[in-house]
Amino acid sequence: MKTDDLIDALARDTAPPPTPPASRRVVVALALGLAVGLFLLITIFGMRPDIGAARMPVMMKAMFAALAASVALPVLLQLAKPGRPLGWRLAAVGGFVALSVGLVAVALMGGDPTERFKLWMAGAFPWCVAIIPLLAAPTALLLARLLRDLAPTDLRASGAALGAVSGGVGAMVYAMYCPVDSVAWVVTWYSVAIALCAVLGAFAGARLLRW
Amino acid sequence: MVEAEAELKRLMLAGLAGDAAAHRALLAAVARSLRAYYRARLRGAPEDAEDLVQETLIAIHTRRDSYDPAYPVTAWIYAIARYRMIDHWRRGQRRGGDHIPLDDAPELFTAAQDEAADAKRDVMRLLDALPKKQRDAIQLVKLDGVSVKDAAARLNLSESDVKVSAHRGLKTLMRLMADTES
Repeated sequence: MKTDDLIDALARDTAPPPTPPASRRVVVALALGLAVGLFLLITIFGMRPDIGAARMPVMMKAMFAALAASVALPVLLQLAKPGRPLGWRLAAVGGFVALSVGLVAVALMGGDPTERFKLWMAGAFPWCVAIIPLLAAPTALLLARLLRDLAPTDLRASGAALGAVSGGVGAMVYAMYCPVDSVAWVVTWYSVAIALCAVLGAFAGARLLRW
Repeated sequence: MVEAEAELKRLMLAGLAGDAAAHRALLAAVARSLRAYYRARLRGAPEDAEDLVQETLIAIHTRRDSYDPAYPVTAWIYAIARYRMIDHWRRGQRRGGDHIPLDDAPELFTAAQDEAADAKRDVMRLLDALPKKQRDAIQLVKLDGVSVKDAAARLNLSESDVKVSAHRGLKTLMRLMADTES
Protein backbone atom coordinates (compact mmCIF):
# COMPACT_ATOMS: atom_id res chain seq x y z
CA MET A 1 0.00 0.00 0.00
CA LYS A 2 1.26 3.43 -0.88
CA THR A 3 1.75 5.78 1.99
CA ASP A 4 -0.27 8.42 0.17
CA ASP A 5 -3.29 6.08 0.11
CA LEU A 6 -2.86 5.46 3.81
CA ILE A 7 -2.87 9.21 4.44
CA ASP A 8 -6.06 9.52 2.41
CA ALA A 9 -7.70 6.79 4.45
CA LEU A 10 -6.64 8.24 7.78
CA ALA A 11 -7.62 11.78 6.85
CA ARG A 12 -11.22 10.73 6.28
CA ASP A 13 -11.58 9.97 9.93
CA THR A 14 -11.68 13.25 11.84
CA ALA A 15 -14.18 12.31 14.51
CA PRO A 16 -12.51 12.51 17.90
CA PRO A 17 -11.22 9.11 19.06
CA PRO A 18 -13.84 7.59 21.38
CA THR A 19 -11.78 7.39 24.53
CA PRO A 20 -13.08 8.34 27.98
CA PRO A 21 -11.09 11.00 29.88
CA ALA A 22 -7.88 9.54 31.31
CA SER A 23 -8.21 11.28 34.67
CA ARG A 24 -11.36 9.37 35.57
CA ARG A 25 -9.85 6.08 34.47
CA VAL A 26 -6.79 6.72 36.65
CA VAL A 27 -8.98 7.29 39.70
CA VAL A 28 -10.93 4.10 38.96
CA ALA A 29 -7.70 2.09 38.46
CA LEU A 30 -6.22 3.34 41.73
CA ALA A 31 -9.39 2.71 43.74
CA LEU A 32 -9.85 -0.74 42.24
CA GLY A 33 -6.18 -1.60 42.76
CA LEU A 34 -6.42 -0.53 46.38
CA ALA A 35 -9.56 -2.61 46.90
CA VAL A 36 -8.09 -5.75 45.33
CA GLY A 37 -4.88 -5.22 47.34
CA LEU A 38 -6.91 -5.00 50.57
CA PHE A 39 -8.80 -8.14 49.63
CA LEU A 40 -5.49 -9.97 49.06
CA LEU A 41 -4.14 -8.71 52.37
CA ILE A 42 -7.19 -9.78 54.35
CA THR A 43 -7.42 -13.21 52.74
CA ILE A 44 -3.69 -14.01 52.90
CA PHE A 45 -2.40 -12.20 56.00
CA GLY A 46 -5.37 -10.69 57.82
CA MET A 47 -5.36 -7.27 59.50
CA ARG A 48 -3.12 -6.71 62.48
CA PRO A 49 -5.03 -7.86 65.54
CA ASP A 50 -4.69 -4.60 67.48
CA ILE A 51 -5.71 -2.40 64.56
CA GLY A 52 -8.29 -0.58 66.68
CA ALA A 53 -5.81 0.44 69.39
CA ALA A 54 -3.04 1.16 66.85
CA ARG A 55 -5.18 3.50 64.78
CA MET A 56 -2.71 6.36 64.89
CA PRO A 57 0.47 4.57 63.73
CA VAL A 58 -1.51 2.67 61.10
CA MET A 59 -2.86 5.94 59.75
CA MET A 60 0.57 7.61 59.77
CA LYS A 61 2.08 4.71 57.86
CA ALA A 62 -0.74 4.73 55.33
CA MET A 63 -0.30 8.48 54.88
CA PHE A 64 3.42 8.12 54.28
CA ALA A 65 2.69 5.51 51.62
CA ALA A 66 -0.04 7.67 50.08
CA LEU A 67 2.40 10.57 49.91
CA ALA A 68 4.90 8.38 48.05
CA ALA A 69 2.19 7.39 45.55
CA SER A 70 1.08 10.97 45.07
CA VAL A 71 4.53 12.33 44.25
CA ALA A 72 5.08 9.56 41.70
CA LEU A 73 1.65 9.94 40.09
CA PRO A 74 2.31 13.32 38.37
CA VAL A 75 5.48 11.84 36.82
CA LEU A 76 3.51 8.87 35.50
CA LEU A 77 0.75 11.06 34.07
CA GLN A 78 3.24 13.41 32.44
CA LEU A 79 5.01 10.46 30.79
CA ALA A 80 1.73 9.04 29.52
CA LYS A 81 1.60 11.56 26.68
CA PRO A 82 4.55 11.98 24.30
CA GLY A 83 6.94 14.90 24.17
CA ARG A 84 6.39 16.51 27.55
CA PRO A 85 9.28 17.39 29.90
CA LEU A 86 9.00 16.31 33.54
CA GLY A 87 9.96 19.65 35.11
CA TRP A 88 8.85 20.14 38.74
CA ARG A 89 7.43 16.65 38.95
CA LEU A 90 10.91 15.19 39.27
CA ALA A 91 11.79 17.80 41.88
CA ALA A 92 8.77 16.71 43.91
CA VAL A 93 10.09 13.14 43.94
CA GLY A 94 13.47 14.48 45.06
CA GLY A 95 11.75 16.44 47.81
CA PHE A 96 9.99 13.31 49.00
CA VAL A 97 13.26 11.36 49.14
CA ALA A 98 14.86 14.20 51.12
CA LEU A 99 11.89 14.23 53.50
CA SER A 100 12.23 10.47 54.06
CA VAL A 101 15.95 10.73 54.81
CA GLY A 102 15.18 13.61 57.21
CA LEU A 103 12.48 11.59 58.97
CA VAL A 104 14.82 8.65 59.53
CA ALA A 105 17.59 10.95 60.77
CA VAL A 106 15.31 12.77 63.22
CA ALA A 107 13.85 9.51 64.51
CA LEU A 108 17.31 8.07 65.07
CA MET A 109 18.66 11.21 66.74
CA GLY A 110 15.88 11.05 69.31
CA GLY A 111 16.81 7.56 70.47
CA ASP A 112 19.58 6.27 72.70
CA PRO A 113 22.80 6.14 70.59
CA THR A 114 23.53 2.57 71.62
CA GLU A 115 20.07 1.49 70.59
CA ARG A 116 20.15 3.30 67.23
CA PHE A 117 21.18 0.49 65.00
CA LYS A 118 18.78 -1.89 66.66
CA LEU A 119 15.96 0.63 66.26
CA TRP A 120 16.74 1.06 62.61
CA MET A 121 17.59 -2.38 61.35
CA ALA A 122 16.97 -5.15 63.81
CA GLY A 123 13.33 -4.63 64.69
CA ALA A 124 12.24 -7.64 62.70
CA PHE A 125 12.83 -9.15 59.32
CA PRO A 126 11.55 -6.57 56.78
CA TRP A 127 8.86 -8.73 55.23
CA CYS A 128 7.31 -5.60 53.78
CA VAL A 129 10.00 -5.54 51.09
CA ALA A 130 8.57 -8.77 49.69
CA ILE A 131 4.90 -8.27 50.54
CA ILE A 132 4.43 -4.67 49.33
CA PRO A 133 5.30 -5.52 45.69
CA LEU A 134 2.78 -8.38 45.85
CA LEU A 135 0.05 -6.05 47.15
CA ALA A 136 1.07 -3.48 44.52
CA ALA A 137 0.63 -5.91 41.62
CA PRO A 138 -3.14 -5.41 41.08
CA THR A 139 -2.70 -1.64 40.87
CA ALA A 140 0.28 -2.05 38.55
CA LEU A 141 -1.63 -4.27 36.14
CA LEU A 142 -4.64 -1.93 36.07
CA LEU A 143 -2.43 1.11 35.49
CA ALA A 144 -0.45 -0.69 32.79
CA ARG A 145 -3.63 -1.52 30.91
CA LEU A 146 -4.72 2.07 31.09
CA LEU A 147 -1.32 3.42 30.10
CA ARG A 148 -1.22 1.31 26.97
CA ASP A 149 -4.28 3.17 25.73
CA LEU A 150 -2.46 6.46 26.20
CA ALA A 151 0.89 6.79 24.49
CA PRO A 152 3.94 6.42 26.73
CA THR A 153 7.10 6.71 24.63
CA ASP A 154 9.71 6.27 27.35
CA LEU A 155 8.74 2.82 28.52
CA ARG A 156 11.48 2.40 31.09
CA ALA A 157 10.75 5.68 32.88
CA SER A 158 7.00 5.13 32.60
CA GLY A 159 7.39 1.65 34.04
CA ALA A 160 9.44 3.00 36.95
CA ALA A 161 6.86 5.68 37.71
CA LEU A 162 4.07 3.13 37.40
CA GLY A 163 5.94 0.85 39.81
CA ALA A 164 6.43 3.64 42.33
CA VAL A 165 2.75 4.64 42.27
CA SER A 166 1.67 1.01 42.64
CA GLY A 167 4.26 0.48 45.37
CA GLY A 168 2.80 3.42 47.29
CA VAL A 169 -0.68 1.91 47.00
CA GLY A 170 0.67 -1.50 48.03
CA ALA A 171 2.37 0.07 51.07
CA MET A 172 -0.92 1.77 52.03
CA VAL A 173 -2.54 -1.64 52.11
CA TYR A 174 0.37 -3.22 53.94
CA ALA A 175 0.08 -0.60 56.69
CA MET A 176 -3.11 -2.35 57.83
CA TYR A 177 -1.07 -5.45 58.63
CA CYS A 178 2.41 -4.15 59.43
CA PRO A 179 3.19 -4.88 63.11
CA VAL A 180 6.18 -2.50 63.44
CA ASP A 181 5.58 1.15 64.37
CA SER A 182 9.15 2.49 64.62
CA VAL A 183 9.38 5.55 62.35
CA ALA A 184 12.96 4.89 61.27
CA TRP A 185 12.21 1.28 60.45
CA VAL A 186 8.98 1.98 58.59
CA VAL A 187 10.29 4.90 56.52
CA THR A 188 13.41 2.97 55.57
CA TRP A 189 11.84 -0.33 54.59
CA TYR A 190 8.70 1.08 53.01
CA SER A 191 10.92 3.28 50.86
CA VAL A 192 13.08 0.31 49.91
CA ALA A 193 9.96 -1.67 49.01
CA ILE A 194 8.55 1.16 46.87
CA ALA A 195 11.94 1.66 45.18
CA LEU A 196 12.01 -2.06 44.44
CA CYS A 197 8.57 -1.74 42.82
CA ALA A 198 9.94 1.10 40.69
CA VAL A 199 12.89 -1.03 39.57
CA LEU A 200 10.63 -3.98 38.74
CA GLY A 201 8.37 -1.58 36.85
CA ALA A 202 11.28 -0.20 34.85
CA PHE A 203 12.17 -3.71 33.70
CA ALA A 204 8.61 -4.84 33.06
CA GLY A 205 7.70 -1.57 31.36
CA ALA A 206 9.43 -2.35 28.09
CA ARG A 207 7.19 -5.41 27.62
CA LEU A 208 4.06 -4.45 29.51
CA LEU A 209 3.60 -0.95 28.14
CA ARG A 210 4.28 -1.56 24.45
CA TRP A 211 1.68 -0.19 22.09
CA MET B 1 12.08 24.89 12.70
CA VAL B 2 10.10 27.57 14.51
CA GLU B 3 8.04 27.94 11.34
CA ALA B 4 7.52 24.18 11.18
CA GLU B 5 6.26 24.19 14.74
CA ALA B 6 3.85 27.07 14.18
CA GLU B 7 2.47 25.63 10.95
CA LEU B 8 2.21 22.05 12.20
CA LYS B 9 0.57 23.18 15.42
CA ARG B 10 -2.01 25.16 13.48
CA LEU B 11 -2.78 22.11 11.34
CA MET B 12 -2.86 19.80 14.35
CA LEU B 13 -5.29 21.95 16.31
CA ALA B 14 -7.51 22.46 13.26
CA GLY B 15 -7.45 18.72 12.60
CA LEU B 16 -8.40 17.94 16.18
CA ALA B 17 -11.27 20.39 15.83
CA GLY B 18 -12.56 18.35 12.87
CA ASP B 19 -10.93 20.03 9.85
CA ALA B 20 -10.20 17.05 7.57
CA ALA B 21 -8.14 19.08 5.07
CA ALA B 22 -5.86 20.34 7.84
CA HIS B 23 -5.51 16.85 9.23
CA ARG B 24 -4.58 15.56 5.80
CA ALA B 25 -2.03 18.34 5.32
CA LEU B 26 -0.52 17.54 8.70
CA LEU B 27 -0.18 13.83 7.92
CA ALA B 28 1.34 14.59 4.51
CA ALA B 29 3.87 17.03 5.97
CA VAL B 30 4.75 14.65 8.77
CA ALA B 31 5.14 11.76 6.32
CA ARG B 32 7.78 13.72 4.39
CA SER B 33 9.74 14.48 7.55
CA LEU B 34 9.42 10.93 8.84
CA ARG B 35 10.65 9.47 5.55
CA ALA B 36 13.85 11.49 5.69
CA TYR B 37 14.26 10.71 9.38
CA TYR B 38 13.86 6.94 9.08
CA ARG B 39 15.82 6.63 5.83
CA ALA B 40 18.77 8.35 7.43
CA ARG B 41 18.67 5.80 10.23
CA LEU B 42 17.84 2.67 8.26
CA ARG B 43 20.27 3.00 5.41
CA GLY B 44 19.95 0.24 2.88
CA ALA B 45 16.44 -0.71 3.98
CA PRO B 46 14.12 1.83 2.40
CA GLU B 47 11.16 -0.60 2.65
CA ASP B 48 11.67 -0.86 6.39
CA ALA B 49 11.80 2.90 6.53
CA GLU B 50 8.53 3.17 4.62
CA ASP B 51 6.94 0.59 6.94
CA LEU B 52 7.95 2.74 9.88
CA VAL B 53 6.58 5.85 8.20
CA GLN B 54 3.20 4.14 7.85
CA GLU B 55 3.25 2.75 11.37
CA THR B 56 4.06 6.14 12.78
CA LEU B 57 1.36 7.84 10.73
CA ILE B 58 -1.22 5.42 12.09
CA ALA B 59 0.12 5.96 15.60
CA ILE B 60 -0.06 9.72 15.19
CA HIS B 61 -3.58 9.39 13.88
CA THR B 62 -5.03 6.91 16.37
CA ARG B 63 -3.31 8.52 19.36
CA ARG B 64 -3.94 12.10 18.37
CA ASP B 65 -5.90 12.67 21.56
CA SER B 66 -2.61 12.15 23.40
CA TYR B 67 -1.38 15.50 22.09
CA ASP B 68 -1.25 18.09 24.85
CA PRO B 69 -1.57 21.56 23.24
CA ALA B 70 0.41 23.08 26.12
CA TYR B 71 3.56 21.62 24.55
CA PRO B 72 5.11 21.79 21.04
CA VAL B 73 3.54 19.47 18.50
CA THR B 74 6.96 18.79 16.97
CA ALA B 75 8.12 17.34 20.31
CA TRP B 76 5.02 15.15 20.38
CA ILE B 77 5.58 13.84 16.84
CA TYR B 78 9.28 13.35 17.45
CA ALA B 79 8.67 11.37 20.64
CA ILE B 80 6.31 9.02 18.77
CA ALA B 81 8.68 8.71 15.79
CA ARG B 82 11.57 7.88 18.05
CA TYR B 83 9.47 5.41 20.03
CA ARG B 84 8.40 3.58 16.88
CA MET B 85 12.03 3.30 15.83
CA ILE B 86 13.17 1.97 19.20
CA ASP B 87 10.29 -0.50 19.02
CA HIS B 88 11.49 -1.49 15.56
CA TRP B 89 15.01 -2.14 16.87
CA ARG B 90 13.70 -4.09 19.82
CA ARG B 91 11.59 -6.27 17.59
CA GLY B 92 14.51 -6.86 15.30
CA GLN B 93 16.76 -7.58 18.27
CA ARG B 94 19.50 -6.08 16.28
CA ARG B 95 22.84 -5.37 17.73
CA GLY B 96 23.19 -1.78 18.77
CA GLY B 97 19.57 -1.44 19.76
CA ASP B 98 20.69 0.45 22.83
CA HIS B 99 22.77 2.88 20.85
CA ILE B 100 20.14 4.83 19.04
CA PRO B 101 21.44 8.34 18.62
CA LEU B 102 19.79 10.67 21.11
CA ASP B 103 19.31 13.49 18.70
CA ASP B 104 16.94 16.36 19.11
CA ALA B 105 13.54 17.00 17.65
CA PRO B 106 14.69 19.78 15.29
CA GLU B 107 16.50 17.30 13.10
CA LEU B 108 13.24 15.57 12.27
CA PHE B 109 11.78 18.69 10.74
CA THR B 110 14.72 20.03 8.81
CA ALA B 111 14.70 17.42 6.09
CA ALA B 112 11.89 16.02 3.98
CA GLN B 113 11.59 13.32 1.35
CA ASP B 114 8.72 13.41 -1.02
CA GLU B 115 8.57 10.24 -3.00
CA ALA B 116 6.56 7.63 -1.18
CA ALA B 117 7.90 4.17 -1.78
CA ASP B 118 5.79 1.06 -1.61
CA ALA B 119 5.88 -0.38 1.87
CA LYS B 120 7.13 -3.91 2.18
CA ARG B 121 3.90 -5.32 3.46
CA ASP B 122 0.42 -4.71 2.28
CA VAL B 123 -1.86 -3.14 4.82
CA MET B 124 -4.82 -4.46 2.86
CA ARG B 125 -3.79 -8.03 3.48
CA LEU B 126 -3.41 -7.37 7.19
CA LEU B 127 -6.99 -6.13 7.28
CA ASP B 128 -8.10 -9.72 6.73
CA ALA B 129 -6.68 -10.66 10.10
CA LEU B 130 -9.01 -8.30 11.97
CA PRO B 131 -12.32 -9.37 13.51
CA LYS B 132 -15.09 -9.00 10.95
CA LYS B 133 -16.80 -6.12 12.71
CA GLN B 134 -13.60 -4.06 12.87
CA ARG B 135 -12.68 -4.96 9.32
CA ASP B 136 -16.05 -3.94 7.93
CA ALA B 137 -16.03 -0.69 9.90
CA ILE B 138 -12.57 0.24 8.60
CA GLN B 139 -13.38 -0.80 5.06
CA LEU B 140 -16.53 1.28 4.88
CA VAL B 141 -15.61 4.33 6.94
CA LYS B 142 -11.90 4.71 6.34
CA LEU B 143 -11.37 3.24 2.90
CA ASP B 144 -14.65 3.62 1.04
CA GLY B 145 -15.41 6.96 2.64
CA VAL B 146 -18.97 6.04 3.63
CA SER B 147 -20.40 8.21 6.42
CA VAL B 148 -20.58 6.69 9.88
CA LYS B 149 -24.36 6.92 9.76
CA ASP B 150 -24.65 5.01 6.47
CA ALA B 151 -22.06 2.47 7.57
CA ALA B 152 -24.01 1.89 10.78
CA ALA B 153 -27.19 1.32 8.79
CA ARG B 154 -25.45 -1.02 6.39
CA LEU B 155 -23.72 -3.07 9.09
CA ASN B 156 -26.78 -3.02 11.32
CA LEU B 157 -24.78 -1.53 14.20
CA SER B 158 -25.14 1.64 16.23
CA GLU B 159 -23.14 4.66 15.10
CA SER B 160 -20.95 4.65 18.19
CA ASP B 161 -20.35 0.94 17.69
CA VAL B 162 -19.07 1.67 14.18
CA LYS B 163 -16.83 4.46 15.43
CA VAL B 164 -15.40 2.35 18.23
CA SER B 165 -14.91 -0.67 15.93
CA ALA B 166 -13.09 1.42 13.34
CA HIS B 167 -10.92 2.98 16.01
CA ARG B 168 -10.09 -0.32 17.69
CA GLY B 169 -9.45 -1.85 14.29
CA LEU B 170 -6.87 0.80 13.47
CA LYS B 171 -5.09 0.18 16.74
CA THR B 172 -5.06 -3.56 16.14
CA LEU B 173 -3.85 -2.92 12.63
CA MET B 174 -0.93 -0.93 13.98
CA ARG B 175 0.02 -3.80 16.25
CA LEU B 176 -0.23 -6.25 13.36
CA MET B 177 1.98 -4.02 11.24
CA ALA B 178 4.54 -4.02 14.01
CA ASP B 179 4.37 -7.78 14.48
CA THR B 180 4.63 -8.79 10.83
CA GLU B 181 7.83 -6.87 10.49
CA SER B 182 11.22 -8.52 10.87
